[in-house]
Amino acid sequence: MHTMNSDLPERDEADAEFETVLDPKVQESIGRSLKAHYDDLINAPIPDKFLVLLAQLEATERRLPTEGESDERR
Amino acid sequence: MSADDFKDGLIAEIPNLRAFAASLSGSMQLADDLVQDTLLKAWGNAEKFQPGTSLRAWLFTILRNTYYSLYRKRGREVQDSDGTYADRLATHGNQESHLDLADFRKALAKLPEEQREVLIMVGATGLSYEETAEICGVAIGTIKSRVNRARSRLAELLSIGGVDDLGPDHRITAAVQRAGPEIVNG
Repeated sequence: MHTMNSDLPERDEADAEFETVLDPKVQESIGRSLKAHYDDLINAPIPDKFLVLLAQLEATERRLPTEGESDERR
Repeated sequence: MSADDFKDGLIAEIPNLRAFAASLSGSMQLADDLVQDTLLKAWGNAEKFQPGTSLRAWLFTILRNTYYSLYRKRGREVQDSDGTYADRLATHGNQESHLDLADFRKALAKLPEEQREVLIMVGATGLSYEETAEICGVAIGTIKSRVNRARSRLAELLSIGGVDDLGPDHRITAAVQRAGPEIVNG
């Protein structure tokens, strides 16, 4: 868990209202399931279309004159 | 940051963006559209990204804004046809988690969006409470209470022992005990 000193008043309030009711084992179990859910999605094969899209965007940019790397506006 | 570095950064974040988008929208198909839009916007606004800050947080902000402005309604329609996403990867190799993944996803999909998104961000993506608060544009305390509410609701939906298993609400018990003498004496 994060320790966030600047946030003590708000956290106390949140703790008092909610954190007392949930068993740490239940929290752990939910945490594990959350990770399992997310990691499963992360590990799903990535469609080629995203890489194709980025390659196209990059190619388009290279064809255009570079109109200055800076933020200057004229 | 060179265009190459930026592009590599985007590529590296695609799995995370998809996972978050799927968790948020409840549909892989919407997730892919959402990721595509996010990549396009990120590329078009590359100069607004500040090197040294979290690219993930920046991209999540774009994705989330895109979702709430354009996709939310579509998401609800898709979710009506249910199941497709929750059952998609029902066979899960890693059995360490004792909750069934498909059941968990169904429960997750029932959470209000504002709870689901913060639970995912804080609990699975590696984003801090601080970054999550910034992405959502709310105070850290709000994130914390949303996370707590989300956990409690999930426990309830999954019947893995929430409030009921702990007996009477501690606060009420405490309040009754505190009030006791006064009631007697008063």
